[in-house]
Amino acid sequence: MTVALPEQRFPGRVLPVTLPAAPGGIPVTVGGQNALPYAPEGDRPNPPAVGMEVRSGAEELPPSLEAAIGSLSGDPVALARRCISGWGARFLFLSLDGCHPDSGGKSVADGAALVREILGAVPAPVIVGGCGDEDVDARLFPAVAEAAPRPVFLSYAEEKNYRLMAGAALAYGHGLVSWSPIDINMAKQINLLLADLGFPPERVVMDPLTGGLGYGLEYTCSIVERIRLAGLSGDAMLARPVLCHLGDAWKAREASDASEGSWGDVDRRGRRWEEATGLACLAAGADLLVCRHPGSVARLSGAAWR
Amino acid sequence: MALTALDIYKLLPKTNCKDCGFPTCLAFAMQMAAGKATVDLCPHASEEAKETLGAAAAPPLPKVTIGTGGSEVVLGDETVLFRHEKTFYHPTAFAVSVADDLSPAAFADRLRAIRSLSFERVGQRISVDLVALRCVSGDPAGYARAAASALTATGLPLVLLAPAAPLATAAEAVGGSRPLLAPPHSDLEAAAKIAAERKLPLRVRARGIEGLSAALRSARAAGAKELVADPAAESLADAVADAIHIRRLAILARNRDLAYPAAFDLGDPFPDPFGAAALLIPRYGSLLVLDTADPAEILPLLTLRQNVFTDPQRPIQVEPGVYPIGNVTASSPVLITTNFSLTYFTVRGDVEASRVPAYLLIADVDGMSVLTAWAAGKFTGESIAKMLSGCGIEEKVGHRTLILPGMVARLSGRIEELSSWRVLVGPQESSALPPYLRRLPPAAFDPANA
Amino acid sequence: MPDPGKGIVRFLPEGVDVPLSPGDSLLAHALRAGVPLLAPCGGESRCGKCRVAVAGAARGGDDPGALSPADRSAGIRLACRCVPLSGVVAVTVLPESRPARLSAYLDGKDMAGDGPFLPLQRAVPGGRPLGVALDLGTSTLAGALVDLSDGNVLARASADNPQMACGEDLISRVVFAEETPGGFEFLRERLLQGVASLVSRLLARTPLRGEITDVCAAGNTVISHVLCGLSPSPIRRPPYRPVQKEYPVVTGRALGIGVAPDAQWRIFPSLGGFVGGDVVADILASGMHREEEVSLLFDVGTNGEVALGNRDWRIACSSSAGPAFEGGDIGCGMRAYPGAIESVRIDRETGAAEWTVIGRKPPAGLCGSGILDLCAEMFRAGLVDRAGRFVRRGGAALRSTDRGEAYVVVPAEQSATGQEVTLCEADLKSVLRTKAALCAAAEAMLRAVGLPLGAVARVYVAGGFGNFLDLRSALTIGLFPPFPLPRFVPLGNASLAGAIGALRNRRRWREALELAPATLYHDLSADPAFMELYQRALFLPHTDAERYRAALSGTEATR
Repeated sequence: MTVALPEQRFPGRVLPVTLPAAPGGIPVTVGGQNALPYAPEGDRPNPPAVGMEVRSGAEELPPSLEAAIGSLSGDPVALARRCISGWGARFLFLSLDGCHPDSGGKSVADGAALVREILGAVPAPVIVGGCGDEDVDARLFPAVAEAAPRPVFLSYAEEKNYRLMAGAALAYGHGLVSWSPIDINMAKQINLLLADLGFPPERVVMDPLTGGLGYGLEYTCSIVERIRLAGLSGDAMLARPVLCHLGDAWKAREASDASEGSWGDVDRRGRRWEEATGLACLAAGADLLVCRHPGSVARLSGAAWR
Repeated sequence: MALTALDIYKLLPKTNCKDCGFPTCLAFAMQMAAGKATVDLCPHASEEAKETLGAAAAPPLPKVTIGTGGSEVVLGDETVLFRHEKTFYHPTAFAVSVADDLSPAAFADRLRAIRSLSFERVGQRISVDLVALRCVSGDPAGYARAAASALTATGLPLVLLAPAAPLATAAEAVGGSRPLLAPPHSDLEAAAKIAAERKLPLRVRARGIEGLSAALRSARAAGAKELVADPAAESLADAVADAIHIRRLAILARNRDLAYPAAFDLGDPFPDPFGAAALLIPRYGSLLVLDTADPAEILPLLTLRQNVFTDPQRPIQVEPGVYPIGNVTASSPVLITTNFSLTYFTVRGDVEASRVPAYLLIADVDGMSVLTAWAAGKFTGESIAKMLSGCGIEEKVGHRTLILPGMVARLSGRIEELSSWRVLVGPQESSALPPYLRRLPPAAFDPANA
Repeated sequence: MPDPGKGIVRFLPEGVDVPLSPGDSLLAHALRAGVPLLAPCGGESRCGKCRVAVAGAARGGDDPGALSPADRSAGIRLACRCVPLSGVVAVTVLPESRPARLSAYLDGKDMAGDGPFLPLQRAVPGGRPLGVALDLGTSTLAGALVDLSDGNVLARASADNPQMACGEDLISRVVFAEETPGGFEFLRERLLQGVASLVSRLLARTPLRGEITDVCAAGNTVISHVLCGLSPSPIRRPPYRPVQKEYPVVTGRALGIGVAPDAQWRIFPSLGGFVGGDVVADILASGMHREEEVSLLFDVGTNGEVALGNRDWRIACSSSAGPAFEGGDIGCGMRAYPGAIESVRIDRETGAAEWTVIGRKPPAGLCGSGILDLCAEMFRAGLVDRAGRFVRRGGAALRSTDRGEAYVVVPAEQSATGQEVTLCEADLKSVLRTKAALCAAAEAMLRAVGLPLGAVARVYVAGGFGNFLDLRSALTIGLFPPFPLPRFVPLGNASLAGAIGALRNRRRWREALELAPATLYHDLSADPAFMELYQRALFLPHTDAERYRAALSGTEATR
């Protein structure tokens, strides 16, 4: 007697989006699926892709990261190369945090120059993140958009700045990350605003803001699940690939504090902290993951087999 | 319950007599639709109503209880596939294994290690729930002694992973503690008889859904009642797929024959136990057996479980208290806001973005935003003054200057009246904090000016 | 798009098209299209007010009695008698035919208004019994004087609520009462003085003499408590319940008010802490508690109350929407008094605004309906995006002011005050928040009981934003969920109408007493769906915009 296994079939598909690469590099295409992650049925033509973050500013690293990337942390170009060719990251997330006025205040020109250098050094796809200061970013992104020798994705556009970001991206052929603070309505709203401007949807990926493990992760996971369910059920504004940046995981005390003996080895613990954050995001529907520890790339890519 | 409040209302007497304790029949119907009341509260409900509403309320995935008293573990009793649809009720239970053939010292060490996998996080205790005793020795008497010893040493309920003979002796020795019997597939029938006689929960292990279907049938035929289904997955992919199938069979198909909590043994030789555990927590794993007792592995998994099994319908709140942001000193500014999660994350993010190290006081207002909390009388001059003197900030900073959210500027007078603090009114919107904080005169926070 | 072969009626200057329905008058077409057209006689061809200029194939409406030869040859017709025939019939509503009454707070529709006259008390021997109906609103007190010997309304008057000095919103007033020494007494005294002065003005407005024997007062719960001398503090502390929901009938003397000392004062019962007797009076006036079909009722004011239900069950809540539609919270907002802009059109090419003003005076500000129209026009003209932010169009009348970037509606030289009348982004955000709260409140209640939008047969709209509510503007910005236009029934000040109805017919007072305890009070702050629905509605017209297109195109929604 065979048991009839219930299926969950959906009428919609996630729009495929490609992060372009330079000649010699491998572009990353995500999306295209018509089913939930890990579901036994449906098509998932493009498995999730794992990338790594490179930062331009100086900072104190948690022990796990210090051990793994500390020696390269002052040299973003070298780190970028190692991420791609040594550690298997499929794309880079370049954060220009060094341009923040309170972080050593590298100039906008420095930021643009670094983007040019990194894009020259690695052929892999790149997403460029700002410094977090509204005024600086308003000057930084147009400069970066112009300076980049090939198309990148700019992170991120939100309600406050979407016209500026869309303008910079449209003028130079870049893509956008649309951002919302863990709110499914705001996630749809920013995509609607971009659509009203005529920004091509196949050049948009969504970042719903990822809370680290223990510090808001479940809100993110539920929002990602709801976005994916709505998109697959026919809401075109939400049928888009989702990006989860795991950086917040490293802000947790548990990921970096070596003093608590009862918590076990801090190096292993930090890596597992990022990994668990990433796995939960994959289970919810993330298509792009940005991690900081090289070990996470292999671990999360393996789990991203579906 | 899939019935709407109005569907339910139509089945009620509609007299608004209030005997059920609710003000109107509609109110009662709405509570039933939300799963917060049952039809037996209405003394005047018709037979038809009782039948329809009673049946609709029966849980699709029955409950299984392991252990007794304070350390009882409940599995199952779930109603939705996604936590946002309502909530997940019973957290994935973790069992860490110990082998029965270890030396007494090693055995005791292992049990101690398991016992110490208990942590406090954001005001809750998160711990490993069970000890899984693996029968390696094959010796029924020895296994029974090990079971009794594990029970005494840890106080945790047991999962007895053993073939028929040792299982029988152990059930005799520790049956009163309500362990989960976990025989290999070959010994299912014998174990099912023990489970039936002693009224103990039983793990049924068989390969795949088809295998499980047959095995569960045999277990039921032997009289075993509280069952847990283990599809004997050998890879992460199979484990997750099986868990999804079993949960869907219960909730979507209402297939009573396969509606059981799902269990997985992620011990050796299972490849990638951590990855599987992390995926099975949100994807329907009810019980996981792990071979690792390393806190570096277990703490992240317990935290993930804690996160996934919070109730999404309760206002998302963070723990009230003092939050240092950046490299704080005794002259760092002090800000206050409420413990609504979004408020907390937003303000924290803006303070971080300002690169000005500061203390953020988070007031306990049951997770409301600043204005809502003020209107509800939870965020007042009195409550803030009380927090200032009680939360320990006065030991951390030398000054007595508090930055208040601009939206509740009107509270400043009262706060100054009731405490020894001075109040600066901050911006109305959190996004204006970076320039605001950067332009603060340092003299405001100099202890000499306190 | 209507099929041109079948004929179109096009209303100007709105530019709204509706399919030509043979045999229906132009007035009926206007109602269907949601185009405001004055018809005080209710379309019975008695008043001659519904004048329109018609171009195209149409018949009738040119009676010599109502129109001069010059009018007739200019193509002017009475819409209630003119029937379009075929092709495109262009109908221009003349300015004087647009409803523009002087005071929005005094007129309300009582859907059962033609019922029998059964006064609460028998007539007093030797004198004329008078009744006073009161609507005690947060910002405005309104009253009507009724001759209880024949049921006629003798006078109407309104006044600002003097409690405003203690706080603009109810919570602030409750806090004032708690925290200022003698605050409660002061708050009460102000209310009593305001009511007494209003009653005196009513008496002064009629030459008829008599004695006030009955007063029916409808107010929200906080005001009703204060009136009766009850502390409203429990309303804002857990478990957020009023001290009592029914109020005893007392004499004016017992209340301590300076007028009508021997009259019986009846105060409408409350439903809960934030939904009071004014909403019960609204429901009474709408008649929704007598109908089999399910209706929604909106009271568009600061408290933004919404009621849903029918004769079997009802549920009501308060959305705490905010005073944007009463002119509050908006820089150039004002109440619907003479000088208030009540409708606006924006020229798509120049970006300049045209307006109509209550009382035909120079404009001093914008009242609720004007604010609504302005926001809708700005959105339609592409001056703001869906999030309510200005889109720079270079040239359009956007100016930097001390309140930020603003759209200039009226240049300084044309305004009554000599200052520009503007709307800035912060004002738009206020409007957005207010309308989102109201819309989400209705959606939350529908979801709580499990009804789809299509199940709502009628949508009653009450409130003091101005008399005519441009429903197309309302749906353009998403003030209400997307119900088809013909389902809307504007009621004006239904609280006052309900109070008058209770004075005229004692059975209706009893109805009010019965319908209140059978209406469930829904606490939105305890409804987990509300916050999300609110965020979803915080967009023009809504995050789920597709549904509004069908409602605005005039086609009846299928669900």
